[in-house]
Amino acid sequence: MEELGKKTLQEPRIKFENVSKIFETRSQEIVAVKDYSMEVLTGEFVSIIGPSGCGKSTLIRMLDGIIKPTEGNIYLDGNQVNEEGKMPKETLRKMGFIFQQPNLLPWYTVRENVALPLRVFGLSGETWEKRVDELLELVGLSKSGQLFPYEISGGMLQRAGVVRAMVHDPEILLMDEPFGALDELTREQLNMELLEIWKETKKTIIFITHNVEEAVLLSSRIYVMGTQPGRLVSTVNIDLPRPRSLKMITQPEFIGYKQKLTKLIGDLDLSKIK
Amino acid sequence: MTKKRIESFFAPILMFLLIFTGWEIIVRTLKIPKWLLPMPSEIFKSMVVNFPAFWPHILMTIETVLLGFIIAVPIGILLASLITSFKVVNAALSPYVTFLVMVPLISLVPLLMLFMGYGMNVRVVTVIIQSFAVVNMNACTGFNNVPILRQELMQSLGASRLESYRRVILPTAASDIFTGVRLAGIFATTGCISAEYVGGNMGLGSQIIKYSQFLKTTESFACIFYVTIVGLMMYWLISFAQKKIISWKI
Repeated sequence: MEELGKKTLQEPRIKFENVSKIFETRSQEIVAVKDYSMEVLTGEFVSIIGPSGCGKSTLIRMLDGIIKPTEGNIYLDGNQVNEEGKMPKETLRKMGFIFQQPNLLPWYTVRENVALPLRVFGLSGETWEKRVDELLELVGLSKSGQLFPYEISGGMLQRAGVVRAMVHDPEILLMDEPFGALDELTREQLNMELLEIWKETKKTIIFITHNVEEAVLLSSRIYVMGTQPGRLVSTVNIDLPRPRSLKMITQPEFIGYKQKLTKLIGDLDLSKIK
Repeated sequence: MTKKRIESFFAPILMFLLIFTGWEIIVRTLKIPKWLLPMPSEIFKSMVVNFPAFWPHILMTIETVLLGFIIAVPIGILLASLITSFKVVNAALSPYVTFLVMVPLISLVPLLMLFMGYGMNVRVVTVIIQSFAVVNMNACTGFNNVPILRQELMQSLGASRLESYRRVILPTAASDIFTGVRLAGIFATTGCISAEYVGGNMGLGSQIIKYSQFLKTTESFACIFYVTIVGLMMYWLISFAQKKIISWKI
């Protein structure tokens, strides 16, 4: 019995198996991702880091049914999700996507924007409506619910973007450089809020970034990608204690990880120059 | 009222007075004959005195413009939706839409009259042809410029085509569509006048030509001014609708 329990525990929530994506333009084929494999367990916080153009954003788009892989398979809870045709809503409901920009719709109020996934997934009822208000409260937007996106600040907009991805209670959050467009201070603050949310809700998170410090601070494991073609170069486990805090940034272990990763990414750039 | 609003309210009125006073003075001092260029005061007088004679024609023009416009706008938007959603439709229809925009309408009207006679139908059809194409072209621009991130958002939620259209594509394209609708309002008026000009004896266009043939230039001008008023009314109506519908800022 114990054996069985252990086995189900280790069953990966998300599995990429030799995934490749080739984009065909008029004149040439661009290999965005080549032979990428990765396994993420339930409740893990992993980051994918790499220079721009390494296909890291393409990876989570393939998982979320926005793009189909050219080769290889992607599994979610053991089920293959990259079959032909549109991904079913039941599968999509397990995931929430947070974009690089807030990506709110200007014709909806902040609250309507946050509630959008409920409307599209067809989730209605008091419990869900209450959840919208709770999430707005969680990120300090309860007073701004009836405002339009142009009336609130950039940090607030991105907070709304984050809770929009959580409103349908997905178990998995896919984050595409979510705070990359914000200033340093707001970014650090939002990272800490994100860790808090993760701790409370036990979501599985895949975080895309090109910021080493951010990746080390947040993740349990970091996948380093290289360019041309986009591929997995190295996997680094971050064995820093939790809860993490901004104070850790100056500690020797943290700096050690940071240097290791910076070197890994730096070597990539050098090999490209050669 | 703020200073800006006072300016935007009084500046056009002042300009209006300047132009017509200048016109009046020039015509009076140079003693230009009435049949060549009538005085504004006489034109305005004719607009009032001959109103009973003009009224059925004004009504007819308004009816034609509105009817044609109301049919043209949805056709333009619907066609743009199809063109931007399906490559085949785009390939099949685009050249003809461009053709309809390019061809001088006045050359089509006699042909249309050959097919449909001189009645109201031919004038409404002319208005539709003249105005749907600009709506269509601007709506296509709007539909084609929907940011990829917004489309990806709807994909990540598994939204159906119709749902994406309703929640994202149509509102994104709304301001471009309105640019087209505004132009269509103007084109509908000019299209209607051209059709009335070419044939028939109803509508302000037919009256302009009738009065100028008899050298009744004052009456002719009065009709032209009424056309302007109809055009302005269209423009205000559309601006009002735009403000009501697009309440958000980007």
